[in-house]
Amino acid sequence: MTHLAQASSGFFSWEWVASNLDDIWDRTLEHLVLTAIAVCVGMVVSLLLSLVALRYRRTYAPISWIAGVLYTIPSLALFAFFVPITGLSILTAEIGLVSYTLLILVRNIVAGIDGVPPATVESALGMGYTRRGLFFAVELPLALPVIVAGLRIAAVTTIGLVTVTALIGQGGLGFFILRGLNLFYSPIGTTQIVVGTVLSIAIAIAVDVSLVGLERLAMPWARRRAAA
Amino acid sequence: MIELDHLTKVFAESSAPAVSDLTLTIARGEICVFVGPSGCGKTTTLKMINRLIEPTAGTIRIDGRAADAVPVHELRRSIGYVIQQIGLFPHRTVRQNIGTVPSLLDWDRTRIDQRVEELAALVALDPAVLDRYPAALSGGQRQRVGVARALAADPPVLLMDEPFGAVDPIVRARLQDELLTLQQRLHKTIALVTHDIDEAIKLGDRVAILSDGGILEQYDTPMRILQHPANAFVAGFLGTDRGIKRLSLIPVSTIDLAPGPVVPRSASHAEVVAVALEYGTDWVVVDDGAATEGWAQVGAVPPEGAVGAAAIPFATRLTTDATLKEALDAIVSSHPPVAPVFDGQRLIGVVTAEAIGRAARS
Repeated sequence: MTHLAQASSGFFSWEWVASNLDDIWDRTLEHLVLTAIAVCVGMVVSLLLSLVALRYRRTYAPISWIAGVLYTIPSLALFAFFVPITGLSILTAEIGLVSYTLLILVRNIVAGIDGVPPATVESALGMGYTRRGLFFAVELPLALPVIVAGLRIAAVTTIGLVTVTALIGQGGLGFFILRGLNLFYSPIGTTQIVVGTVLSIAIAIAVDVSLVGLERLAMPWARRRAAA
Repeated sequence: MIELDHLTKVFAESSAPAVSDLTLTIARGEICVFVGPSGCGKTTTLKMINRLIEPTAGTIRIDGRAADAVPVHELRRSIGYVIQQIGLFPHRTVRQNIGTVPSLLDWDRTRIDQRVEELAALVALDPAVLDRYPAALSGGQRQRVGVARALAADPPVLLMDEPFGAVDPIVRARLQDELLTLQQRLHKTIALVTHDIDEAIKLGDRVAILSDGGILEQYDTPMRILQHPANAFVAGFLGTDRGIKRLSLIPVSTIDLAPGPVVPRSASHAEVVAVALEYGTDWVVVDDGAATEGWAQVGAVPPEGAVGAAAIPFATRLTTDATLKEALDAIVSSHPPVAPVFDGQRLIGVVTAEAIGRAARS
């Protein structure tokens, strides 16, 4: 450790890391919480929007268009727009983060449900499933691989975006990156940028891998089919 | 019993009706096969029975009760449904698939498990596959699961939409036979859709022939339809081999089987010639008393020896439950030109082309 710290003393300070472990831990947790809220709320909103889109096919194009427009708004601009209304709050951050999940999640939920084989749906209805039973017992489980694929993209995207919310006083690990930028030419500055970036990437990878694991656990039938 | 009463369906996107004023009754315990060219409304008719499609006009009664008198999901739980693509749930084990309707009806776990195992035995499904997922099954096994699933809650009525359309011809023939065997035990009221007239003739107690636009051209037993097609459409749909198709409905047991030119294996050349002359053949059947060995060409019998040395086994052996169509096939594809009918090792008699002709004309 001492050796490493000396060798990289111009760019990276292990001393800073050692003396700020508590803070790093807190910001990491904050990052995870901001992400979790965004993805969960995004999922619920997307499910509701998808139900509407599936029930009333004509609404799918407008819903998907609005979600697409939201997705194109630069994140800085979106956060800046809401600050006068909702302040430098977690709410402002989440409004932005949730908005960015909608396009991917709605599209994947609808595509997943549409991808359920018509014969499966027909036989389910023919055996006496109600529409609601069909959705929860047949369509949703069968759409799960496509939905989880969307969820992974949404989660990874959100983890990256959370850093931007540092600009409105949130930010999780983005806090270190922003503060590091302000101290750019000092070792303490670059250290913070590196810590914020590396941990953010690590979280993204960890979350992605756990979602894959969760998917396999929840879908033994898909796993065996893939193996066959 | 299923009663279709002036049933009509016009789909919103077209002006021509898919089913036109269809009235017919399927008696309890009978198999009614709907057959016709594609677009004749046979599947539409079937789907109106379990209300996957709602009729534009007319009524359907099942065992006297109007189909629209109960909530649609309750109606469907009381009707078994099998479709060509089977539509098994890929995310559920075979056991769970078969138990679908019982679990919708809130049966308890032990009762469902017991019923599933009973059904597996009924449709000859290897119990080892019960805990696998459908992806691991063969086409024939999936079809069995589909039938078991439809029978799970013991519904009095079964709807089958091209149930054997997706399996190869050998498996199809076996599954058809199994359905008939099953039906002898279960006595369900079955409506089955196919585009295959041979399947219709084989499976149907009655056959409903539909033409484009869901017009019922004829509804009768396969035998009467083959003997007396109602019109040119029906005759054309039955094809030019109507007489041969009819043969598939007549068992060889209806023919008085003549034993033919039988000789013991010890018979001499002279004895063989005498028997063959009597029957007007150039061959004889060789029998050693306990079993029938085969046949022998008269010219092949050694002048100084016994006929046994020249005996050749029959190329085909029919059993008494074979049809005249199979007998005819044996006649045209073998020498001597007869169909030997066996009971075990013993020849009961031979069917000749003349005998088939007489039976077909009667």
